[in-house]
Amino acid sequence: MAFHLSIFVVNEPGKLEKITRVLTEKGLNIRAVSMASTGEFGVVRVLVNDPDAGLAALRENRFTVVKRRILVALIEDRPGSMHELLVTLAARSVNVEDCYGFVIDEGKRAAIVFEVEKFPEAERSLAGTSVRLIADSEIYRL
Amino acid sequence: MYWNKESETPQRESLERLQLQRLNSTLEKAMQAPFYRDSLGRNGFRRLSSLREVSQLPFTTKADLRNAFPYGFLAVPLENIVRLHSSSGTTGNPTVIYHTREDIETWQDLVARCMYMTGMRSTDVFQNMMGYGLFTGGLGFHYGAEKLGAMTIPIGPGNSRRQIWFMREFGTTVIHVLPSYALRLATHVRELGLDPRKDFKLRMAYVGAEPHTEETRRRIEETWGIKAYNSYGLSEMCGPGVAFECTEQSGMHIWEDQFLAEIVDPETGANLPEGECGELVLSSIGRAGTPLLRFRTRDLTRFLSGPCPCGRTHRRIDRIQGRSDDMMIINGVNIFPMQIEQTLMRISGIGANYQIEIHEDNYMDKLHVRVELAPETFAGTLGQVEGLQGKVCAALKEETGVTPVVKLLEAGSLPAAEGKAVRVVDLRKQPRREC
Repeated sequence: MAFHLSIFVVNEPGKLEKITRVLTEKGLNIRAVSMASTGEFGVVRVLVNDPDAGLAALRENRFTVVKRRILVALIEDRPGSMHELLVTLAARSVNVEDCYGFVIDEGKRAAIVFEVEKFPEAERSLAGTSVRLIADSEIYRL
Repeated sequence: MYWNKESETPQRESLERLQLQRLNSTLEKAMQAPFYRDSLGRNGFRRLSSLREVSQLPFTTKADLRNAFPYGFLAVPLENIVRLHSSSGTTGNPTVIYHTREDIETWQDLVARCMYMTGMRSTDVFQNMMGYGLFTGGLGFHYGAEKLGAMTIPIGPGNSRRQIWFMREFGTTVIHVLPSYALRLATHVRELGLDPRKDFKLRMAYVGAEPHTEETRRRIEETWGIKAYNSYGLSEMCGPGVAFECTEQSGMHIWEDQFLAEIVDPETGANLPEGECGELVLSSIGRAGTPLLRFRTRDLTRFLSGPCPCGRTHRRIDRIQGRSDDMMIINGVNIFPMQIEQTLMRISGIGANYQIEIHEDNYMDKLHVRVELAPETFAGTLGQVEGLQGKVCAALKEETGVTPVVKLLEAGSLPAAEGKAVRVVDLRKQPRREC
């Protein structure tokens, strides 16, 4: 099982900087960040190479943070590949609750991180499709 | 000039004689209520031989009223009661005041007296912009105006466009309004391209139910080109009509034929010399349903000395300077911090620390409640946090009647619950406190 960190933050200057400082001090590598906000407050997702260490470090610094389960799909870095991925997810009725992505090698590979509604089911229903889910152990080494 | 010359301009000695006589008969009536039967009976109740002896009677507090819920202060058989008024909220018991038919009639007459004093007549058109219902502000003025004989528009609060439409169509000459709303309404008038001074027949506003400065009153007068008169009342005594300004606009005449007023030190409860600022303590001396003796109003004021040029001999009190308890008044709605605390404690997902801020924007009070998200309940989605915010907002609205702005913060953002944490920060321009 792979995880990213989900952190509650009030929208104020300097809040994100505190998160990255804590992670930096622990020598953690941030692979991707995304944020959803109401304008007043938001939830920041951070994909780090060691989520348990990140969780502990942020909690130590009084952050309101949890680990959340993710699926990571590998796609080609070319026009249409994201669309193809979503077509497959839709065909298998996988409901995406959160999603962000990042390029690994420009023009070659990109990773798409998902939170989905039903976990083992979603994973199973994508087996045998063109979607390439990355093994948990690989995710943190991306 | 007088609604009832005899009642409004008696010699002080005869007024005080009447007060003593009514106080003693009220004592007798109060003994029919379970609460007073216990408290006065224990202390060896007897008739008082002078008004000064009233200070020997114990105080009655809002907590007494709550603890004696529902009928502990009822002094007549229920069949003689025709109405009740009650505080809002569900935290603890509400305070309930019962009215007999005579109580209602006396109250109407008092409010009519107040209105007549300022120059309102049966030819006036009266638009009542206060809340109707359990709150006494709306109904109290409504029946007073009807008693006086003026056409009364029971429109209630809010909906500025409709207020303005009624004022224009029916040529409203007198309004009863929250001072903050009087100013906000004027901004709506201007938005409609109208001039509050020229396009209305308005000539007077009665303002009350929330503390306001003399500057605010003058601004209301200037904005509308009218006279604004301060009104004072509290549901425990009847509602509005306890004290009111005459055309001198120099303090409010407290109707001493119906209420015995004292000013006490809020800390010690000792009576203060005339003219000193302290807490107003009132005994209702003309009421039957729920007579109250030495009720602690928690309102801070003082007696203004000297006779009033209007000829009325009832003493005047200064505008209310503040409260001796922590009650907040938000757009005329009374709220205690405890109501907010208890509501918050019933909601899972938020921490024990909270902070209340009262902001003022365009003459409107806004209640901000700052709470912390409980880290152990955080599931990690924005939807969950937004849902929690909505839930806190709805629960506070249900308890207080006021829609708050709920600010969700990270754990550790607010001062800890122990000790004397500052829970309420009032950022409004308040009447200057001289007590």
